[in-house]
Amino acid sequence: MTAAGLHRPAPGSVPPAAATTRRNLAAAGWQLARLYLISRRVPMALALLAGLGVLLWTALRWRWNIAGGAAARQFIPLTIQTGAAAVIAVTTYRPFGEPERVAGRWLPWLRLATAVALTAIAFGALAAGAAAGGMPGGTLALLRNLAGMAGIGLLAAVVLGGAFGWTGPMAYLLITEGALAHRSATPWVWPTRAPHDRGGAICACLVIVAGLVLITVRGPREPGREPGPAS
Amino acid sequence: MATATGAPVRQHRAPRAAATVPLGAARLLRVELRRNAMPWILPLIAALFWFDSYRPSTGTAPLYALRTFWNMGQGHTIIDFGPFVAGVAAWMGSRDGRRGLADLVTATARPRWAAQLTTWAATAIWAVAAYLVVVGVTFAVYAYQGVGGTPPWWWVAVGATAVTAFSAAGFAVGAYWPSRFAAPVAAFGGFLAMAMSSQTGFRHTSGWALILPTNSNGNFDQADAGIFYPWLPDLPIARIMFLGGIAVAALGLAGLPARAGGQWLRRAAAVITLAGVALAGTALGLASTARPSAHGMVIPAVHDAANDTPITYTPVCGHAAGVPVCLNPAYRPWLPDMTAALAPVLTEVAGLPGAPVRATQVAAAYPSGDGGPPQAITLSGHPPVLRMSLGSLDLPGPCGFCDGPVATRQFAGQTRLAFAQAFTGAGNGSGSPAQQAVQAALLRGAGIPFAAQQKLMASARNGPGPAPGPATGPVYAAARRLATVPAAARHAWLAAHLAALRAGQLSLKDLP
Repeated sequence: MTAAGLHRPAPGSVPPAAATTRRNLAAAGWQLARLYLISRRVPMALALLAGLGVLLWTALRWRWNIAGGAAARQFIPLTIQTGAAAVIAVTTYRPFGEPERVAGRWLPWLRLATAVALTAIAFGALAAGAAAGGMPGGTLALLRNLAGMAGIGLLAAVVLGGAFGWTGPMAYLLITEGALAHRSATPWVWPTRAPHDRGGAICACLVIVAGLVLITVRGPREPGREPGPAS
Repeated sequence: MATATGAPVRQHRAPRAAATVPLGAARLLRVELRRNAMPWILPLIAALFWFDSYRPSTGTAPLYALRTFWNMGQGHTIIDFGPFVAGVAAWMGSRDGRRGLADLVTATARPRWAAQLTTWAATAIWAVAAYLVVVGVTFAVYAYQGVGGTPPWWWVAVGATAVTAFSAAGFAVGAYWPSRFAAPVAAFGGFLAMAMSSQTGFRHTSGWALILPTNSNGNFDQADAGIFYPWLPDLPIARIMFLGGIAVAALGLAGLPARAGGQWLRRAAAVITLAGVALAGTALGLASTARPSAHGMVIPAVHDAANDTPITYTPVCGHAAGVPVCLNPAYRPWLPDMTAALAPVLTEVAGLPGAPVRATQVAAAYPSGDGGPPQAITLSGHPPVLRMSLGSLDLPGPCGFCDGPVATRQFAGQTRLAFAQAFTGAGNGSGSPAQQAVQAALLRGAGIPFAAQQKLMASARNGPGPAPGPATGPVYAAARRLATVPAAARHAWLAAHLAALRAGQLSLKDLP
């Protein structure tokens, strides 16, 4: 007897019905997604994003503005958006490394779906927080800034590893702060541009698309596989 | 052949504990230094420092107080380092917990808290060393560029302590919350703390808020700190105490859980935590007693009178219309601009009884009370001496947060206006109508047309005021009349009426 015959159904056995197969596949898919989300600590990420939404509401409600004009008023909301982008980036951290990469052919799609879903949820949480009023630039600027910074976080996760993906949005926040203070207006620093500015929106879109593509195709840098901080 | 049995027996004593503990700790520290995540982030921090702290500073005049206003005074060096250091420290602090090794390392011979402190020490050593290297290189570049004055070393120490405090606070977050989110949450907390520090600090010029690391009020507002007088260490000492207290309290907190060590060790950790809180509280109390002086913030409890001693120097001198003009050597690059700016107005008043016999630079003083900033140029003494505080003027060249570089012509206009105000006795205020008219005529004689004078006065004014209007009205009518009088007659009239003009006793009708 050879191994070639193992995949053949036993003589006389009844093949499973198509509906049962689909149900099993759906259950397996749900189980896979659930385990993936838990392994990426997505529940904790959701709690943190909700907390950031509350923080934004508090900051706007109680007017935590920095003195120094319209640009300075953006800083605290931008810091909170940066925090949300950092949380999204850190969820990409995978602690399993090689075994998971070899065994999971759905991993790229799970990474993509998780990143997109978390970005959408973060936007929803922050938009709810912005309901307190006085959000500089309004909801459109929030969407552009958050999406762009989430893209930077995903790119940083690809380069530095998921655990250190937070450094990308944080570094970008400092660059934005300098640009706001010195009235720089390059579209690559989109928070300095008006909400309806096309250049800033295009740059933010390019960054989020690049981040999503790379995190889907390549995934975050693996700890231990390549030299880096996330070990 | 001798046998081994004949050899004297050499007893190998067990090494004493006192000798092995430091050696073991040093080995552990070396391992932690090699296995630390901080070096991987340092290039990013260095790049951000270059972008956010160094690059903007080069756009200011080459004086230490101006060069370091943004990066040290407003704390941008700390903002560049602190949150990232806190994040990486949290990552290191959460290491054992994340890897599920907490129980394993708790069972080792060394108390867990001691091992944690070694991990933190390695993280802090990397961060503080990087901070000192980056600031050292920056100051070396400044020195190469000929930046005048002395570096604010006390503020460098504040920055190093702040980096230490961020590392300790981040480490405590990681030690208590071994999660992948500990690092971004610690970094985000660092950013938010600095944002709140800016939010509070910019609005408070006195009181407890002076302890905040981004509050530049009363310390970096004048260009002459480190040039005419030393950088006052009072507030830096309070900030070092505050940040050191936070660091000590955070590290003590890491030793409080049951797994950190034995009962005595945990009690020691509690005492250390309380000591840190007390230190930070004391610093807050000290900062709330700070009062502004001419040279910066003074905290009576820590103030050393020796720091009030002016820095001695040999002035550099030039001549404007035959009058010696002497500046502090730190201002040497602007001596030609100063003599060129003063020459036309000094020529106009040459030979008058109240004309200055020399011009000398004095230190710019901090504003005291509600009277606005001190007068940039004064004229006093017998014989009269022109005293100029260049630190109060926008010097020609790059100007940091101005709308653009200051042109030589703009500087000359400011200087001539300040001279005319001092010469006519108008001082910081607008002066009497007669003083305004003589001032306008003097400026007109120095090459500033009447039409440009209102704009010049608006640009020299500190704070809000009316928009510049046309050069019309009785004052400018009298000024035009005076300007058309022949120079010799004008000179003679000024010689006869200067004392009365300065005393504010003349009206527009008294002008020729």
